[in-house]
Amino acid sequence: MAAPGARPAQTMIEFRDVHKYYGDYHALRGITATIRAGEFFSLLGPSGCGKTTLLRTIAGFEGISSGVVLIDGKDVAAVPANKRPTNMVFQSYAIFPHLTVEQNVGFGLRREGLSKEALAARVAEALEMVGLKGYGARAAHALSGGQRQRVALARALILKPKVLLLDEPLSALDKKMREQMQVELIRLQRQVGITFILVTHDQEEALVMSDRIAVMFEGEIAQLADPETLYRRPNSKKVADFIGTMNFLPASILSESDGQIEVEAKGFGRVTLAADQAPGAATGGEAMVGFRPETLTILFDGQQATDRETMATIEEVVYYGDMTYYDVKLDGMDSATRISMRNVFGRPVLDIGTRTRIAWSPGALVLFR
Amino acid sequence: MAQETRWGRFRRSEAASGYLLVSPTAAYAILLLAAPLAMIILYSVFRDGYLTVIPAFTFDNYVETWSSPIYRSVMIRSLSVSMAVTLVTVLLAYPVAYFVSFHVDPSRKSLWLFLITIPFWTSYLIRVFLWKVILGYNGVVNSALMSIGVIDEPLTWINYNIQAFVVTLAHAYAPFAILPIFVAMEKIDRSLLEAGQDLGESRLMTFWRVTLPLSMAGVVAAVLIVFIPVIGDYVTPNLIGGGKIPMIANMIENLMLVRDNKPLGSAIAVSAMLIVTVVSLIFVFLNRRFLGGTK
Repeated sequence: MAAPGARPAQTMIEFRDVHKYYGDYHALRGITATIRAGEFFSLLGPSGCGKTTLLRTIAGFEGISSGVVLIDGKDVAAVPANKRPTNMVFQSYAIFPHLTVEQNVGFGLRREGLSKEALAARVAEALEMVGLKGYGARAAHALSGGQRQRVALARALILKPKVLLLDEPLSALDKKMREQMQVELIRLQRQVGITFILVTHDQEEALVMSDRIAVMFEGEIAQLADPETLYRRPNSKKVADFIGTMNFLPASILSESDGQIEVEAKGFGRVTLAADQAPGAATGGEAMVGFRPETLTILFDGQQATDRETMATIEEVVYYGDMTYYDVKLDGMDSATRISMRNVFGRPVLDIGTRTRIAWSPGALVLFR
Repeated sequence: MAQETRWGRFRRSEAASGYLLVSPTAAYAILLLAAPLAMIILYSVFRDGYLTVIPAFTFDNYVETWSSPIYRSVMIRSLSVSMAVTLVTVLLAYPVAYFVSFHVDPSRKSLWLFLITIPFWTSYLIRVFLWKVILGYNGVVNSALMSIGVIDEPLTWINYNIQAFVVTLAHAYAPFAILPIFVAMEKIDRSLLEAGQDLGESRLMTFWRVTLPLSMAGVVAAVLIVFIPVIGDYVTPNLIGGGKIPMIANMIENLMLVRDNKPLGSAIAVSAMLIVTVVSLIFVFLNRRFLGGTK
């Protein structure tokens, strides 16, 4: 996250109405966005949404059909990949198999014409930064997946690019390694202060790592926001569905004035929402209110709701150890909604069929219309 | 329970069925390769008694092989022709393999490979003979050039010489060189080339620093595949050279069948084999070094 009081962020990359066609296929459909200098930016979306294509237009591996891409204020249309101030960590890592770790990391330094000693020192420094001190003489094929990734990182960062591009760098690692590398990437990004642009299809990874996230569907950016806004105030059902779990209830809009929206939501009754609780543009479709599973709480004996309260029947219980998921039917509803509860010592897991009180708050609702 | 015999156990083992499967091939190889080879080696240390072979041990044949200037110069000619052919073939094959691997649409690659193998539809002998027709004294090239008035009398430097051998053999062995280089190139991860450019190198430098070293294994294989058979080529010197510029195979044939000196012919054959083995081992060693990095 950006440090408080940081100077106003400059723009590092700007897309102006970028379109890309592969024959008849419209891969990028009018991308307009800016990426700030020094931020950790993620392109998140399902496979085939155009996120990798967009990343490759920055690297220079992919031309664009129309629009403008600016890197640090310069139109890069005529700049080939080898002349751009960007470096990439490839999905396959693209470690040169015929070279040692050292030679891989120092590959891009050839043109700087360093002395042998200066080159070795720069390489050693880069290897230390990614935690591979002493691995320099190893053959590339003798490395594990995690080590390959570190070599790819060192090889890119050693050139001190303005932008580091990461194409799904963690997808080939196992879960534990992936979580470790997430933390290390964040640390590294803070340390070097370079703009990082990450492509991922893993919403959790994007939420954990990014300052801002662009969610992409079918060649368009559906929403661009910081992780919290994206999670709490998704601007469409599609975004809400892609990031985490969201319950949807049918609703009807009664009135709208002065930034206040009166809604009649099934199961919740009549509620007043603030304007920011309807972040999406009107689509003309059926109105819905949505809420995250953890925003509803089962009230145990003696607990009081801080805001609103309603009754529900438990229909399904899924026990996860630290959490329990309950599918409950709110009174006045036909279908179940999901609630997640943190398991607290001494509190029982409720049985199917239990009648229970539920605490909820209108502030947690998001209106889609 | 009866004690199982070693033979009984062997008969049911996987190894036994393996031996059974290879036995026809093995028998064939022993009969047609190992046995004649053993005979040649045996002949090479026997004495020649004109028209007969005297089974008395001697190294004289090898002494003559390695000391006679005639045999040495023929061997050197064979080696240099083979090296020239290998060089020309691989240098011409590399760009073809590169083009097919990197610039041909993936769906068209098999068509291209198919086209490359077309020369094999004609027998080797006929292909060599066609070059004789093309390059000969009254051949296609000469009569064409004369009829359009470029030259007044037939060129002689295009036929009956070493250059003509190289042209003929390079054409005959081109597919053998293209295919291994193509295979090595196909195995190169294309993102490595993007990585090379991403790290600041031009296309040419990326080729030099990434593509070329990674395709070297294929080049070494191509060198081996062309070099070894060309050294022992018999047909080309006979047809294109008119029998006047013998290579080692023609020499051996002459000794064995014309002069009927089987022991000396055998000694030269064994010596040539040893030289080829040494050269091949050098290349195999090089190949292993290149492959070592790409496992």
